[in-house]
Amino acid sequence: MKPIYLRRALLAPAVMACLAFSQTALAAKDVTVAVPYGFDSLDPYNTNSTQSQAVGKGWYEGLFMFDLDFKIHPLLATGYEVSEDGLMYTFKLRQGVKFHDGTDFNAEAVKVNFERVLDRANALGRYNQFKGIAKIEVIDPATVKITLKEPFSAFINNLAHPSAMMISPAALKKYGKDINLHPTGTGQYEFVEWNPGQNVKMKKFDGYWDKEHVAKVDSINFRVVTDNNTRAAVMQTGEAQFTYPIPYEQAAILKKNDKLDLLAEPSIIARYIAMNNLVKPFDNPKVREAMNYAINKEALNKVVFNGYARVAEGVVPGKVEFSQKMKPWPYDPKKARELLAEAGYPQGFETTLWSAYNDGTSVKAIQFIQQQLRQVGVKVSVEALEAGQRVQRVETVQKPEDAKVRMYYIGWSASTGEANWALSPLLAGDSWPPTFGNFSYYKNAQVDKDLADALKTTDKAAKTKFYKDAQEQIYKDAPWIFLNTADTVAARSKKLDGFHVMPDASYYFRDVSLKD
Amino acid sequence: MLSYLVKRIFGMIPTLILVCVVVFLFVHMLPGDPARLAAGPEADAETVQNIRKQLGLDLPLPQQFGHYLINLSQGDLGTSLRTKRPVLTEIAARFTPTLLLTITSMIWSVIFGLVIGVVSAVWRNRWPDRLFMTLAVSGISFPPFALGMVLIQIFAVNLGWLPSVGATSWQHYILPSITLGAAVAAIMARFTRASFVEVIQEDFVRTARAKGLSEKVVIVKHTLRNALIPVITMMGLQFGFLLGGSIVVETVFGWPGMGTLLVDAVSARDYPIIQGLVLLFSFEFILINLIVDVLYGVINPTIRYK
Repeated sequence: MKPIYLRRALLAPAVMACLAFSQTALAAKDVTVAVPYGFDSLDPYNTNSTQSQAVGKGWYEGLFMFDLDFKIHPLLATGYEVSEDGLMYTFKLRQGVKFHDGTDFNAEAVKVNFERVLDRANALGRYNQFKGIAKIEVIDPATVKITLKEPFSAFINNLAHPSAMMISPAALKKYGKDINLHPTGTGQYEFVEWNPGQNVKMKKFDGYWDKEHVAKVDSINFRVVTDNNTRAAVMQTGEAQFTYPIPYEQAAILKKNDKLDLLAEPSIIARYIAMNNLVKPFDNPKVREAMNYAINKEALNKVVFNGYARVAEGVVPGKVEFSQKMKPWPYDPKKARELLAEAGYPQGFETTLWSAYNDGTSVKAIQFIQQQLRQVGVKVSVEALEAGQRVQRVETVQKPEDAKVRMYYIGWSASTGEANWALSPLLAGDSWPPTFGNFSYYKNAQVDKDLADALKTTDKAAKTKFYKDAQEQIYKDAPWIFLNTADTVAARSKKLDGFHVMPDASYYFRDVSLKD
Repeated sequence: MLSYLVKRIFGMIPTLILVCVVVFLFVHMLPGDPARLAAGPEADAETVQNIRKQLGLDLPLPQQFGHYLINLSQGDLGTSLRTKRPVLTEIAARFTPTLLLTITSMIWSVIFGLVIGVVSAVWRNRWPDRLFMTLAVSGISFPPFALGMVLIQIFAVNLGWLPSVGATSWQHYILPSITLGAAVAAIMARFTRASFVEVIQEDFVRTARAKGLSEKVVIVKHTLRNALIPVITMMGLQFGFLLGGSIVVETVFGWPGMGTLLVDAVSARDYPIIQGLVLLFSFEFILINLIVDVLYGVINPTIRYK
């Protein structure tokens, strides 16, 4: 590290140089955001990348939206009514809204968009999110009625999700499959360009319907910078004003930088280790409990996440609606060994631990866990899988008896902000691979009934009780080692305002502004 | 000479077809299902199957290969499984930045490498030689990503003289080309020195000196030309490698080149892009080898091709 006096001596010429480079930026207000991944698609109905969906919020809007606290607000819809049986939703739509190509937003546009994703011939990736819709009827240009196949109380959450966007029907007709390359919505910004692997750029849309929320900056450029350290560097040089994620090791350095703010917020990204409940020794609940006692989660958070994580307090992270806070499993290796002995494994056992990700933090995590398990006599061999291996070895295994997965380190974020999406895909009996993500092959009839009942009712108190029952049962059965919820760590230039990372790692930038 | 060239060009075709077959088989044998990867973790099995049908991946392998060859003969490299744009468009967008970076790196690294190599050879075992050869070993040993990050830290972050990511202005080319060129310059230097040392001991050099020519003429006009043959070979190889896109340098500098395109395509099992890129790289290498062979004839007129 350079000594302080040398750094000060370099400060003056550095400031001069920076001023020289920043002269050109004073004219227009252009924001640059450094993002870690390339964009796979700009069609909100066909991408699973949180990042692609997040950026889409610039030019697209849905009937509803999530704010920073994951509360739902009406956006293109102004209100709705639900029928008694929970099947028919009637939405009142906002008037006077125009798409970027000048056409009107109306009930017909809503119908076109949902029918497009429901048409299996289009093979759009987000079909699952909308498959509960039976039919969509246009009552008049400002009213649309959607009928569901079964009551689904989280339907409005699904509509607030950044996938449920309104695309201009005229643009859909004009571009067909290439709508992916020409996003046309009602949002604050218009699409400018997409250079795959490089950047996505949007510019202010002057005809935006909400005159109180017209964009305060002229353009936003989302630049792809895959290397962690380079992202930290571009924040320090001022070439970008916002970036997420910041690797935990860099957080301390950026915190000291007086031109930047370091933002660490709790997220709804739960990390856990799924244990294959169909196979010895994990079919024995005592073994699964022992595993939970064996891991020192505070130490994991300090060592692997540099303190930017909180120990799991239940099955579902706190900011998700209907999550139930429970006492964390304490760190008690002695009890773990006792439980293992009771279960018939006094000498421990050998098994494998796979990680669904091969980034630096995940590799550290599984190595840490390997050491912790060794203390109670469990010897695991670890392997970090890359995407293709993950798909082949875990996600697309056709028969449960063929599944080779034993312990699996993975994370999940309930992107609809509601307990249903935090529980069903991961723990419902009919979500076993290859259908969905229940990698622990867990099945409990009571839990399945609770999840189904919660969807049928719109009564909040009843829903809370159903989800509470389900979560308590799951916590007791311990199909997973419940680890933690990591914080989102982002860096923001002090000149930038109004750009945030949401608890699900999406972006929120409705009020973004740039100081001179 | 012309008939030699024509024969070599025609000889490329069977090689390229062989490359085609091998890459196709190899890429389809990788574990992982592009349809599943494209659909993402929140899609159900039926959606994945529909995507698979759309991408033409449910047809039997020989049929897929047949389609590929037919399209290839018409100049159509297929469409990317991820972005649905033609493979040619994807590759073309990344080709120019990679090419320009390669040329920039090669120019200064060849000049540096040759000069350092010649100086080291002429003053061998004295202090210039020791100094430059130490530098050369450091250049080869210093990992490119570390060098790149150190350069960014010093010149972009601390001094603010140069930009760090992207390829939009000529200043953007400076740091990445230094990073890429360091290893190449080092290799050039060592090769030039070794080759030079050998040639300088030949009889004709002694004759040239005996003729009364100045040492400078002896070295630059006579020895260098003869020492260049192995150096040109190495230059060709290095150029070929760099044209494939240095993934590490591209990642560190956010360079929009073909290296990251290839890595991303492999992660997503984007078969058409992988096949297209490997075909392109093979073609580049064959072409470079041909040019190098022709250059031999230019440097050393005694080499004749029939």
